[in-house]
Amino acid sequence: MSQNPQRENDLLITRRHFFGRSSLGLGTAAMASLLGNDLLSSTADASTSPLLSAGTHHVPKAKRVIYLFMSGGPSHHDLWDYKPKMREMFGQDLPEYIRDGQRITGMTAGQKTLPVCPSKYEFTKHDNNDGGIYISELLPHTAKVAKELCVIHSTYTDAINHDPAITFIQTGSQVPGRPSLGAWLSYGLGSGNKDLPSYVVMHAKTSYPEQSLFGRLWGSGFMPSDHQGVLLRGQEDAVLYLNNPSGVSRTDRRDQLDALAAINQAHYNDFADPEILSRIKQHEMAYRMQTAVPELMDISDEPDQTFTLYGEDAREPGTFAASCLNARRLAERGVRNIQIFHRGWDAHGGLPREHESQCKDIDQGCAALIMDLKQRGMLDDTLVVWGGEFGRTAYCQGNLTKENYGRDHHPRCFTVWMAGGGVKPGITYGKTDDYGYNIVDADGNPMNPKPDKSSFTPGAMHIHDLNATILHLLGIDHKKLTYRYQGREFRLTDVHGHVVHDIIA
Amino acid sequence: MAQAQSPKTNESQSNPDFAREVLPILSNKCFVCHGPDAQKNIKLTTFEEATMDHKGSKPINPDDLAKSEILIRLHDDSDPMPPLDAEKQLTTKEREILTQWVQSGGKYAKHWAYVAPVKSTQHKSIDDFILASLKPHGISLADEANKATLARRVSLILTGLPPEPEVLATYMADDGAGAYESLVDTLLDSPRFGEHQARYWLDAVRYGDTHGLHLDNKRGIYPYRDWVIQALNDNLPFNDFITWQIAGDLLPNPSLEQQVATGYVRLNPSTSEGGAIPAEFQAKNNFDRVETLGTAFLGMSMLCVRCHTHKYDPVPHEEYYRLMAFFNSTAESAMDGNSYDYKPNVLAPRDISDWENWRRLNKALTENSKPTEPKPEIIIRPLKFISKTTSEKIPPKENSDQSKESENKGYSHQLESTLFKDKLEGLQLEFFPGDSAENSKIELDQFKVLLTHSNGKNKVLTFRRATILSAKRGVSVEKMSGENSEGSWSISIESDKAKKIHLELMHEELVADDDVLTIQYHTRDSELQQERYNVSAIDNLIDRGPKGELERLVDTFTTTLVAQEGKPRETFVLERGEYNLPIGDSLTPDVISVVGPMPEGAPKNRLGLAQWLTSRDNPLVARVLVNRFWQQTFGEGLVRTPEEFGLQGEHPTHPELLDWLAVTFQETGWDSKSMLKRMVMSKTFKQSSRIREDVSDPANRLFARGPSFRLDAEVLRDLNLWASGILDPHMGGEGVKPYQPDGMWKALAHPGSNTKQYVQDEGEKLYRRSLYVYWKRTSPHPMMTLFDAPNRETSCVRRSRSNTPLQSLALFNETQRVETARILAERLLKEENNDKKRFDYLFNLIASRNPTSVEYEISNGLLKKMHTRYEASAEDAEKLLAIGNMPRDESLEVVKLAAWTQVTSMLLASDLALLLY
Repeated sequence: MSQNPQRENDLLITRRHFFGRSSLGLGTAAMASLLGNDLLSSTADASTSPLLSAGTHHVPKAKRVIYLFMSGGPSHHDLWDYKPKMREMFGQDLPEYIRDGQRITGMTAGQKTLPVCPSKYEFTKHDNNDGGIYISELLPHTAKVAKELCVIHSTYTDAINHDPAITFIQTGSQVPGRPSLGAWLSYGLGSGNKDLPSYVVMHAKTSYPEQSLFGRLWGSGFMPSDHQGVLLRGQEDAVLYLNNPSGVSRTDRRDQLDALAAINQAHYNDFADPEILSRIKQHEMAYRMQTAVPELMDISDEPDQTFTLYGEDAREPGTFAASCLNARRLAERGVRNIQIFHRGWDAHGGLPREHESQCKDIDQGCAALIMDLKQRGMLDDTLVVWGGEFGRTAYCQGNLTKENYGRDHHPRCFTVWMAGGGVKPGITYGKTDDYGYNIVDADGNPMNPKPDKSSFTPGAMHIHDLNATILHLLGIDHKKLTYRYQGREFRLTDVHGHVVHDIIA
Repeated sequence: MAQAQSPKTNESQSNPDFAREVLPILSNKCFVCHGPDAQKNIKLTTFEEATMDHKGSKPINPDDLAKSEILIRLHDDSDPMPPLDAEKQLTTKEREILTQWVQSGGKYAKHWAYVAPVKSTQHKSIDDFILASLKPHGISLADEANKATLARRVSLILTGLPPEPEVLATYMADDGAGAYESLVDTLLDSPRFGEHQARYWLDAVRYGDTHGLHLDNKRGIYPYRDWVIQALNDNLPFNDFITWQIAGDLLPNPSLEQQVATGYVRLNPSTSEGGAIPAEFQAKNNFDRVETLGTAFLGMSMLCVRCHTHKYDPVPHEEYYRLMAFFNSTAESAMDGNSYDYKPNVLAPRDISDWENWRRLNKALTENSKPTEPKPEIIIRPLKFISKTTSEKIPPKENSDQSKESENKGYSHQLESTLFKDKLEGLQLEFFPGDSAENSKIELDQFKVLLTHSNGKNKVLTFRRATILSAKRGVSVEKMSGENSEGSWSISIESDKAKKIHLELMHEELVADDDVLTIQYHTRDSELQQERYNVSAIDNLIDRGPKGELERLVDTFTTTLVAQEGKPRETFVLERGEYNLPIGDSLTPDVISVVGPMPEGAPKNRLGLAQWLTSRDNPLVARVLVNRFWQQTFGEGLVRTPEEFGLQGEHPTHPELLDWLAVTFQETGWDSKSMLKRMVMSKTFKQSSRIREDVSDPANRLFARGPSFRLDAEVLRDLNLWASGILDPHMGGEGVKPYQPDGMWKALAHPGSNTKQYVQDEGEKLYRRSLYVYWKRTSPHPMMTLFDAPNRETSCVRRSRSNTPLQSLALFNETQRVETARILAERLLKEENNDKKRFDYLFNLIASRNPTSVEYEISNGLLKKMHTRYEASAEDAEKLLAIGNMPRDESLEVVKLAAWTQVTSMLLASDLALLLY
C-alpha cells in the first residue's frame, strides 16, 4: 500500500467507516478480512496491526471448509437412515401417532393415504469408530470412508418448501436479503490466497436439473458485494470474464495495465484518494488470477492415480467428481471457503431412477475427496460437509410399488454428514424413530425439538445449530461474528444456534 | 490538523446531549434488557419509567440524584450494570457519559428522528450550515473544483452521464456568472435525468422483472418503471409521487398513471411453489411490504417488530401488524400462479414514447371535440388473382395435440394478386351464399395475408380488427392466438345472405403496382371455393383522427401489475411472526404511533397511510428523502445510515442542515428537482474533491471537500455506450438483454421456469441504457452484481462500493466493453484527423478535459506499442475487432483501429472514467 502511515490509517478508517464496520462488537475475525490480511497464517505480522494479534475468536479446528450441497433434499431413507421395520409396514398407512398432526406440503396433503414406503435398497453395516453404521448400497464408495464420517441423523429445519428451505440453510433466514453462509465466512476468514477468490462456488452437472438455485445462496445480502461467492465454471471462462478478448495477449494486457497504473497514479497525485492505490492493486491481482485460475483448472499435472481415486468422470469439466478435484486443488492453494452445489435430489416420483443417477454422480467424488485430503494430511484441518435443505417423507407420494416410488419434502429430520476439520470421525449423532419421521432420544421417545435461543436439545441439530457448529470449527463464535445493518447487529444464526460440542473431537 | 471524529469533547463533560450521546448508549448497551420490550425487567425508556420506585430504589432518583440506582450500579464492581456476563459492556467513556447524565438530572428527550424537523432561522443556505460547522475546526471550504471537472461531476450526478460535447463546449465558452446554473438547468431538463434518478428509486422499492422466488418467472410490471422515469422527469411533486404509489387506486377516478403507480405495492417477491401454503405467503408478502415501507420511506427497520416489540425503538409488536393491515386486503392472491400478468393488472403503454402519444391523443380528444378534417372517402378496388395453388392434403402432425386440427382443416390454399399503388389500409371480403343448404357454410382457417414487394421482401400483414358490415348473424371473424398463429384469423360464414367484412390494417402499407399480395388459408376440403367470395383492396380505411389513433395505440398496450382493494382479510398479531400463530383480536389498520398519528379525517386505508407519510407533521419521510438526495449528490448521507434513522442508526453529521432541507422540501411543494438543484448549486458541492492535507477526515464527515466515489454499475456501462456514441436513446419498454456469458441462467433455473434461457437481444436493444437491462432477481446481470448492484429481492437504499480483482477482469474483457472500446476508437479515427486531436477528443469524452502532458505521453506510448504489436499480427487485430455484434467499419485500417481500441479500452477502465471526482 502507500508509504504514508497517516494515509494508511486514513484508508483503514475510511473503509471501515464506509462499510459501517466501526463497531467494536464486530468479530475480530472479520477485521482480518477487512484488512485483506491472512489471519490464520503464521506469516501474519502482528506488529503491523494490533488488530491481527487478536486472532479468531478461538483456536480453529479447521482452516477451511468444503461444503457439498445436495439441492432438492436427498432421501435420508434411501441413503443413510436405515429403517428395517418399515419393510413390514409396506403400503400401510403411516400411523397417526407418528405424523402427530404435523403439517405436510400441499403436494401430498390431498392424498387419500400416506402409505409407508420402505427403501428398496440394501443397507450394509460398516465399521466406524462407534457401533458401526448402516449405509445404503447406493453409496458404495462413501461407505468405504465411514470411519471418517460424523453422520448426523437428526438435522431439522423450519421450512417445508424448497425456496424458503434452501434460503434458510444457506442464509439463516427463510426470506431473501441476508448474506449467505459463504459470505459470512468470507467476511470472517478473509483470503488465504491473494491470487484466487476467497469464496468459490461450483455448480456440478446433473441429469436432473430440478429446482432452482438462487444468487442469494452465495450472495452477500446487505454486506459489501466482495463477499459474494465467485462462480468457478466448468467452461472456458472458469471465472467470469477471466480470459482476455481474442486478439489480446498476456503481454498486451501487461502493457495496458502498466499504462493504466501510470494514469491512475497520476490521478492519485491529483486527488490523493487512497481507493485509487487500492484499485491499482486489484488490477494486479486480476492479472495474477488470469494465470492462477487456469493453473488451478489444468489437471494435466494430476497423476493417473488421481483419476483412479476420483473416477474418470473427474476428467470431464463440470462433473461433480471434477468439482471435488477442483475443491481439493483450491484447498491446497489456500482457498478457505468452497461450495459445490449439485441439483436434482427432489424425487417426488421415480425416486429410484433419479437417486441412482444422482448417487452415481456424487458417490465416488465424495469418498475420493476425503481420502485425498487425508493422504495429503489436509483432512485434519479441512471441514467437509455434505447435505441438502431437508429430507424426504417416510410415506410415498403417488403410486407405491416395491420397485418405484416417490417421496415428498420432510423438514422434521434428515441426514447431514461432516468429515475432518475437528469433528469426531466415525460416529453418528442423533436418532430418528422407526419411520425416519421424528427425532427421538436414545430410548426412542420423540423429542419434538424446537429452536430455542436459551436452551439446546441434545441429540437434535437445528439448521442454526449446524451453522453455529460450522463457524465454531472454523474458529468463529457465531454470536460474535456480527454485521451491523439497519441499526442491528446481524448474525448468521439470528438469535439462535448452539454449538454442538458432542460432535467435536 | 483538524479532526472530524470528535469535535465536541468539551461540552459533554458537564451535560451530555441526551439524544446524541446518552440514548445511543442506552439503546446499544441497556435496552437489550431494559428496553421497550422489557417485561420482567425495569424499563429505562422514559423518564417516568426510570424514576419509578422499585422496592425502595429508583433508577433515577430526582430527589437525591446520588442515590440513583443507575449511578450505584454503574460503579458497583461486585454487582455491576451491565452484568459481567453481558455480551455488550460499556466503555469507560460511555460509563462517564451515563454518570454525567444522571448527575445532571437524568432528563430524557425524544429521539431526534421522531420529533418533527424545525427549520433553523440562523442559516439560509447549505453553505451557511457547512461553514458554521467548519468554523470550530478552524478551516473553511476547499477551493472550487476546476470548471471542466465540475461540469463532469454535476452531469454525472444529475443525469448519470458526462456532459454532451456541445453542452460542455457551451459551458466552457461561457464566462458569465450564470454559466454553471444554466448547465444545471440543461441537465435537469434532460430526459436522461429521470432515467438516472429512477434507478435509485428502483433500488429502494426493489423493482425486478421476475417474481423472485422459486421458478422466478417473468413478471409484467415494467410500465411501473416507465412511469417512475416520467414522474421524475416531469418533476411530479414527491408527495404525489408517494401517494400514487401507495394508494393511486383509491384516489377519485384514478388516472392510468395513478393506477400504474400502485405497481409499487406489487413489487414484493412472490412464489407459486408447489406445496407452498397460501396463508404463509399471504403473511410473507405483507411482511415484505411493511419492511420495505419502513426502509424506503421511514428509514426504520421493521424487521425485529415482525416477531416481537422492538428492542430499541418504541415500536410495539402490535403496531407492525396494524401497519400490515393496510396491505392485507389487496385483491391479488397470495400465490402468483407463476404468471406474467399476476392479477389484478391494467393495460398500459409499452414504452415511454407510447405513454407520450397516449397523453397527446387524450389531450387532443378532450380539447378538440369538433371533428377534425373530413374523413377521406374509402376507396375499394377489387383484386384479381394471378395464381392459385392448393396443397396436397396436409399429413397429420406427429404432435398429438395438433393432429386432430390438421386432419380437419386438411388443405392449404394460396392466392396471389398484384396490387394498386400506393396505399393499402385494409381488405374487403365479400362472401356469397352457397347454392344449397349443405354447402352453405364456408370456413377459412389460419387466414393470413402476406405482402411481397418487388424487391423480394415480404411480411405478414397485421390486421387490427375486423368489422362486419352486413348483418352479423352467421358470421364469425376472430384473431387466432398461439405461437404459430401470429397475424392469422379464423373466418366462418354460415348464411343464405351475402356478407361483407372489412379487415383493417394496424398500419398503412405503401405498395407499388408490381407488389404482390398473397392470401393463405386452410380449409377442410380441397375446394378453394373461390366463387364464393371476392377480395378487394381498401384505401382510406384507417381513422387517422385522434380517436382512431388512440384506439390503435391502446391495442398495443401491455399488462402491468397494480394494487386494488379486494375482499377484506382480517389481520392479527402473529406470534414470532408465524403465520399460523395469530394472537388476540382482529386489528384495524393504523400507523406507527411514535412517528405521530394519522392526520385528522384520514381514511384507515392505504390512502390514509399515504396522507400520513406525506403530512407536514411526519418527522421521518422528508428527512429520509432529502438525506437520500444528499447521498446521491455527495456520496454519503447527512445520516450515514440512510436505511436506519431509529435509535440504532447514526446521528446526523449536520442535524440542523438535515432539518432545514427537510422542511424546505416540504415547504416548496416536495419539489425534488429544485432540491437537487439547491444541492449542486452549493459551494459545498463545488469544492475540489482532492483530499486535504490540512484536514484529517477520511470519511468526509465535515464535507470540507467535494464528493468522490466509484460510479455505480449502470453508470459505468452507460458511460462506455455513450462515449462510443451508440447509446440508444429509446426510453422505456420491456427489459433488454445485452451480452451475458452463456449458461448463467440455465445453471440455476428450475426446468419449468420461463427465465431458464437467456435469449440475448439483437440490434439497438444491446445498446440501451442499463436502467432497462432485464432484472432477473435470482440472477441479475453479472456486470451489475460485480459492481455492487443489489439483487432487488429486498429494499436497498445504499449500495456498497467494493473494489475487487473480478471487476478488473470485467472492465477489460466483457464483450460489451470490448465492443464499445472499439466503436469509440472508430469514432476517434473518423472524426479527427490526427492522434493529438484524437486524444483530446477521447479525454474530453471521459474526463471532460484535454489530457495532461503526462497522460498524453502514457497513452500515446501505449498506442505506439500496440501499433507495432498489431502490425506484426494483423490477424490478432482482426480477431479483436470482430468482438461484438456491431460490424467493424471496414474503411478503417485494421492495425490502427486495433491499437486505438487497446488504448480506449485502457482509458475506459482507468479511474478517470470509473470515478466521480
